[in-house]
Order: sequence, then structure tokens, then C-alpha cells
Amino acid sequence: MLLTLIRRELLDNLMTFRFAAAILIMLLLVVANTAVLIKDYERRLEAYNTAVQKHRQDLLETKTYSAVGLTAYRPPNPLSIFNVGLDKRLGNTLRVSYLYVPTLWDAWKHGANNAYLNIFASIDIVFIFQGILSLLALVFAYDALAGERERGTLRLVLTHPVRRGHILFAKYISAMLCLLIPLLMCFLLVLIMLTTSASVFLGTDDFFRIGGVIFTSFVYLSLFYLIGMLISAATRRTGTALMLAMFAWGFLVLVYPNMILTAIETDPHTDTETSVYNQIKQIWEEFDRERKQFLANDPVPGEDWDFGLWGDDGYTFWGGTDDSSKLLYYESTGFHFETLKEESEPQVPHAQNYHRFFGLQVTNTADRTWIVRKPALEMIYVQPAKKEQMLLKFSPVGLYDSATEAWTGTDLSGLQDFFMAGQRYQQAVVDYFLDNKIFESRQWFVAAKGEIDWNMLPQFSFQRSDIGTNAKRALPDLFLLLILNLILFAIIFLIFVKSEV
Amino acid sequence: MVWHITKREIYDNLNSLRFALTTVLLLALMVTNAVRHLREHPKRVQRYQDAVTESLNRLTAHADENLYKLAQYGPGNFYKKPSPLHFCANGGEPLLPDMVEVEEPNVFATDSEDNILLQGVWSLSYPDANLQNKSVGPDVSQVDWIFIIGYVLSLLALLFTFDTFSGERERGTLRLMLANSVPRHTVLIGKFLGGLLSISIPFTLAVLVNLLLISTSSDVHLTTEAWGRLGIIFCLALLYTSLFLALGLLVSTRVQRSAVSLMLLLLTWVTFVVFMPSTLASIASSFSPTKSFDEFWKQRNPVQEDLWDKYREWLWSDELDDETLRGKSDFYTEHVERSERWREGQLKYRSSQMHRARAITSISPATLLQHLIESFAGTGFERHLQFVGNTQHYARQLREFIVDTDRGDPESLHIINVREGMSQKPVSPAAVPKFEDTFDLNEDFNTRAMELLLLTLFVVVLLAGAYLAFVRVEV
Repeated sequence: MLLTLIRRELLDNLMTFRFAAAILIMLLLVVANTAVLIKDYERRLEAYNTAVQKHRQDLLETKTYSAVGLTAYRPPNPLSIFNVGLDKRLGNTLRVSYLYVPTLWDAWKHGANNAYLNIFASIDIVFIFQGILSLLALVFAYDALAGERERGTLRLVLTHPVRRGHILFAKYISAMLCLLIPLLMCFLLVLIMLTTSASVFLGTDDFFRIGGVIFTSFVYLSLFYLIGMLISAATRRTGTALMLAMFAWGFLVLVYPNMILTAIETDPHTDTETSVYNQIKQIWEEFDRERKQFLANDPVPGEDWDFGLWGDDGYTFWGGTDDSSKLLYYESTGFHFETLKEESEPQVPHAQNYHRFFGLQVTNTADRTWIVRKPALEMIYVQPAKKEQMLLKFSPVGLYDSATEAWTGTDLSGLQDFFMAGQRYQQAVVDYFLDNKIFESRQWFVAAKGEIDWNMLPQFSFQRSDIGTNAKRALPDLFLLLILNLILFAIIFLIFVKSEV
Repeated sequence: MVWHITKREIYDNLNSLRFALTTVLLLALMVTNAVRHLREHPKRVQRYQDAVTESLNRLTAHADENLYKLAQYGPGNFYKKPSPLHFCANGGEPLLPDMVEVEEPNVFATDSEDNILLQGVWSLSYPDANLQNKSVGPDVSQVDWIFIIGYVLSLLALLFTFDTFSGERERGTLRLMLANSVPRHTVLIGKFLGGLLSISIPFTLAVLVNLLLISTSSDVHLTTEAWGRLGIIFCLALLYTSLFLALGLLVSTRVQRSAVSLMLLLLTWVTFVVFMPSTLASIASSFSPTKSFDEFWKQRNPVQEDLWDKYREWLWSDELDDETLRGKSDFYTEHVERSERWREGQLKYRSSQMHRARAITSISPATLLQHLIESFAGTGFERHLQFVGNTQHYARQLREFIVDTDRGDPESLHIINVREGMSQKPVSPAAVPKFEDTFDLNEDFNTRAMELLLLTLFVVVLLAGAYLAFVRVEV
């Protein structure tokens, strides 16, 4: 009996014009946007590759350790085609220095071509589904019960010995089967386009991640179908059901996400910002005092930190950064020479001695500032973002978005993985410098005959988190979506069982 | 007769569920918009005023010292005046820079004791779009009037008209109505006006509540001119709504069932309003090869080196004779001119790319509306370019003023931009021209007339289509 019902419903739905029109529009949009998105990804990948190569070259040409500028580059995520998340917004170039622990707020963008073009919103596949899949589901659902009631066929069906639950279930299953067709077709097309593109490489894990995105999309679709069915069960007339369904869509998809974030005020933590910034500044000032004291007490008279060294093709630098909004403050001093004049040679041991002290102190200072800076950044930037994200989750759109972001690894945690790798790399480089006594070596500031073997330096590597981590991050939202599905189904069942036909 | 049908339509709508829901939705959005504006705008104005005061102080300090100092260091940075109609269109404000920088004079050469030997004069520099967004929160659009009108109101317009004819046909009342001696075009116009009026009622109500909230607050002042512009924006909203009403009528006449009609309309709406602007912008921006900063930088170097060769003989001379000073003066002036031209070229290249993308996205009526509202509200990219133009105009004015003032000093050698050649007397700060960022509506209107025509054309074409379709349709 259930099968008969399902078959009837399937035929009813598949043959409709709305179904054909919806599939056509969806496919068109998905294909057009995927082409654009792949192109965009290729451009970003190319920029990344050139940046990495250029950095490698620059590194090999560097002659002293103090002149080295190590940089970690973030490759674009191929799955950002599905949900771009923060992948394009956050910086992709991270300077790794012994002066501070790098964070995502210190990163900037390489290859940012025409920044003005960012005024135009960028869209991704999940965005298309967010809008159209939900619309499609509602259009399928609004007359599922109200329509039959209006036409009188519901009464007819119920004269047979069928359970009401079965009717509901048959309707749900058949509609979902119908809706699955456009969904899978779209994903299939995207996958074909992705795999035929020469520059996109997808691993096995990536296919599982895409599977996660598809499953989440399916659950999202089902949720909207159930919302439509609830409206249909609760109203007598299809006209009213349609109106309510459209307003529900407009509110949940269009209005709520934008309105809620416009309405709430995220309080700026200006107090924490200034106090923590001053704290960091004090730590550096303390370092500066100790440094001056050391210079005053060492055998060389005066507080001169360049020890009167003189050479060719050299420079001394004295600079720093103070950016209170990023809580970043540091001072850097140093010098670099290609060759040293003969008469400066006796000064070299003193300079080396100073740099031993300097290296220990400066890395220590960096660690100390990090202890203050880390929680403060968390409080100023991450917590408000999490709050906003939470507010968005009152709409299924927000849940769907954050779940797919987690699958594709373009959410905040996914990107933090990269910056965490950057921090580990910075630690490794600092450890390497300290362990191999590089600060106190002559090559810290004078180029030697034999060039430095840069391959000995720890190399930066970054792997996106494994599928398990992605799944773990996506599950809470996915679970919420599933629970919402169940609750809605239960409510519909109750309404339908109790209603008079 | 038209009025009769219109009246019937309005009564029909007033009692309906959609009317109630529309009113609630629009009111909620407009109140949110007003509350946000009242919270943010005073801060914005305060920031602007503080920045302007600081710039003015710098100008005054330089003028108080002497004319040469003013010629060398120029005014402080220029800031874009926030528009009082920011709540209508935020115009990508977080991304666009709100200032034009005045660069410190270049130091070309120093001696071993770090004494400056050669130092140029100030120049204008245009900061790039602000990409260093530190926020990691979700990226959503602000609820401004563009959002409310462009997305929500247009969707509502479709919901009001999708069943105008197909619904009546389904119920059989269309046949009844046409059995009377009513010309079909009268029916169509009546329906259109009815739809327009019944959607204007909740919209006008919401707009009034919004403006009431904003204008009664003591922190925000709207001038008469601003009210005029608001009036124009309101009319634009109605025109834009008519477009979607006409589209709804067109589809509704041709399609037998109202559910199918709605489905078609919604898909069209989603395509044209939601996806088209961003998709087309991405396609358009990938047309032209983008130049990176490195490439621009490479263009700069040869230009400047050539200048060094040209003025070599005077630059390294310590003589204070007329010819040497004039050589130095020409070098400084030309250097500033060239770097400003180079920077302007960079900006022009980027804005031409933007213009191309904007032109292509104009196929979507939502983008047309956005451009129009932005230009009347005085925000957005065009406004930014106007601001840049204002600063350039002022820079010329100030340079002329310096030359003129120098001419008035008999002790000066009248060789501009060189310390020894210029007047050493202080200038009265009151006499120095001040920068005021103005927003000129007329200039904008000419550029936007085309878009206004296009929008009107869309409406006319759709209405004509609806008329033709309705006249020929069998009931």
C-alpha cells in the first residue's frame, strides 16, 4: 500500500511544469557559477604558486640570518567552490618572525589585484542551494495536504484502509525522492566540472567532504519541505498555504539573517584593547631597558648597539610595528653586511655576545606578549563572531551554512588550522635558531664565504585537517538540522491525525 | 471604470493575509534600519569631524610658520564627508577608503649627519580599498533601503500580482468580469494600479515610521535638500516596484495556474535579483587582466629615474643662484606631478575596471536600483570618485594660492617649492582656502539619467508585454 502511495505521488510530482522549470534554472545557475568559481580558484592558485616560488628564490638569495624574511603562504581551498566561507576574506600571507607569534590578524593578502572589485558579493554553490533548494522544497510542499483537501481527494484516499501516518510518510518520501534528483544532478555537474579542470586536485578525503556537503544539503532540503508541509497541514486553503510558505521563505532565508545582525550591537572591547596593548608595550619597554643595561655593562663603552661595525653593502635597521587594533607591538633592530671592513673585526665577538643575549631575550619577550595577546584577541574578535554565528543559527539557513563551511574547512576553525600551523612553524624556527646558536653566530649579521644552507631550516608545511575533524565540526549543526526535521515531522503528524478531513 | 477596478483590487488586498504580513515585515525592517542608523551615524559624524579638525590644525600650524612650510607640507589628510542618507544605501562603505592621504614630502638626499639636503613637497595619494578586515564574523549585508526595496519589496510585489489573472481564471471570475462591457486594457490598468497602491500603503507606512524615528532624533539632521533626495528615492522605489508588478501581471496572464505562475516568477526573481549581479560581476572582472601592485611599481621607476638624469647638474650643487634654485624647483614640482599622475593612473585603471563590471551588471534591475539609490543618497563608488575629484580640485586651488601669495611678497625670489626661493613670512590661516567635501547632485544626475531611462524602459516593455498578452489571451 505504501508503495502504491509513493508511486502515485512520485508521478504526480515529476510530471509537473514547476519541476522542469526549477531543474532548468538551477542547473543553469550552478553551471554558470561553477565555471566562474573554478576560474577564480585557478587565479588564486596561480597567485599562490608564484608567491611561494618568489619567496623560495628570495630566501636562497639571502646571505645573513637577520635579513631573512620567512613567510608562510596559505593555499586556496579547492572546496571553497562549494562554500567560500572565510577562505577569500582572511589573509593568506603570514610573516614568520622571532619577534611575535603570528595570528590570522597579522596576515595579509598577496595577489590582491583590484581590491575595489570586492564590493560585488561573491557567491558559491551553497549560496545557490540556500536560496533555490528551499524555494523548491516549499513549492513542492505547500499543496501536499491542503491541495488534496481542497480537491477532495484526501477524503477519497482515507476511505481506503490506509493509516494516516502512511499517507504522510509516502508523501514525504516521494517528494524527497523528487527533490533529490535536481540536487544530485547539480552536484554531479559540479563534480564533472571540477574533475575535468586541470588545476583542481581533489583527494579521497575531499570526495567524502563533498559527500558531507551533499548530505547536509539533503537534510536542509528536507527541513524546508517539512516546513512547507506543516503550513499545508495547518491551513485549509492552498492560496493561504502558498502565501504563508512564501513569507516563511522570505523571512527565514532573506530577511532574518541580514536583519538580526543589523539589529544587534556587538560591543567593542576598547577597554581591553587599550589595556592589553599597553601591557604588551610595557613588556617590550622592559626588554628595551634590559637590552640597554646589557649594552651599558658590556666591555664596549657606550650603549651603541651596532658596535661601530663598518662594512660594504650593509644596512642597519631600526623599526617596529604598533597597531593597537591588532594588539601588535614590537621593535626590531639589527644590521646586515655583505663584507666587513678589516678594522671592524675585533668588534665582532662583542656583537656576537650581544646577539646571544638579544636572541634569548627577544624570543622570551615574544612568548610573554603572546600569553597576554592570545586571550585578548580571542575576546575582541573571536567571541563576537561566535555570537553572531550563533544568532544566525536560529534560521535553518545559518545552520546549513555553518555545517557546510565546517565540511569544506572554510570556517573559522578550518582557517585557524593554518594559522596554528604557522604558529608551530614559528616555534620550530625559533627553536632551531636557539638550538643551533644562530643568534650568536657570525652569520647572523655578516655574510660568510660559504652560503647558508637554507634547506636546514625547518620547512613550512600545512595540511588541511582530516575528514574526521571536519565531520566533528560539522556534526553539531547537522544534528540540530536533523532534530528540527524530526520535531517538525512529529508536529505535522499530530496535526494531520487530529484534523478533520 | 479603471478606478472601480482599482478600488475593488485594493479592498481585496486590504483584507488578505499577505497585506498583513507585508506590513509587519516592512515595518520590522524599516525600524531595524532606523535604529541602526541612529546608533551608528553620530559616531560616524564624530569620527569625521575629529579627523577634519586634526587636518585643519595641521594646515593652520604650517601656515603659521611660513609660506614655504605650507608649500612643502601642504594640508592634512582629506576625509570623505559621511552622507546623512547613509541609511538608504551603505554603498560598500566598509570597503571603500574614506580618505585621500597627503603624503609627507620625499627626502631625496641626506648627508652623513642625516641633515636633509634635498626635500620635495607634499603629494596626493589614494589609499587602496580596505581589505584588511579584522572581523571574522559572518558576512551578511546590512539592512539598508537598497536591501529592503531591492530584495524584499520586489519579492512582495510578485506575491501581490502572481495570481491577478490566473487566480481569477481559476475561480472563474475573470470570465464574469470580461462579460461586462469593459475594455481589456482598462482591466489591466485597473489591476496594475490596484496592485501598486496596495503595496504602496504598507511601504509608505514603513518609510514614514523609519523617517519619523530618524528625524525626531536630535543626533541626526536632515536638510531640506536631503528630504528632496529622499522623495526621489521614494519615487524610484515605486518605479522599481512597478517593474515587478508588471512582470507579475505578464506571467499571470499567460499561465493557467497560479502555482505555476508563482514558481516561474520566483525563479526569474531569484535569477535576476539575487544571482545575476554577483555572477555577472565575477565574469566581468575576469575579462580584463588585472595588474598587480608590482606591475604598477615597475611602471613608476623608469619615469622617476629619467627625472634624476634631467636635473642632475642642479641637484648636487650647493649654489644659491637663480638657475640652480629654479632647477631644483622644477625637479620637485615635476616629481610630485609625475608621482601624482602615476597614482592617478593606478586609480583610473582600477575604476575603469569597476565601471565595466558595473555596466555589465546593470542588466539586473536590482543593480540599476542600487546604482540610482546610491547616487541619490551620496554613497558608493561613484561618490568616492567624486570625493577624489574634489580633493584634486582643492589641491590645485591650494597650489595656486601659494603661488599667488608668494607673488605678493617683494622679498621672495618667487621660486616655488625651494626654501631659499620662497617667502619666509607666515600666512594668515584664515586666508588659506579650506577643503570642504561637497556632494553635487546635478553632476550625479547626468550620469544616472541613463540608468533611470533603462529602468523606465524595463517597466514600459513589461507593461506593454502584459497588455499584448492579456488582449490576446483566451479566457
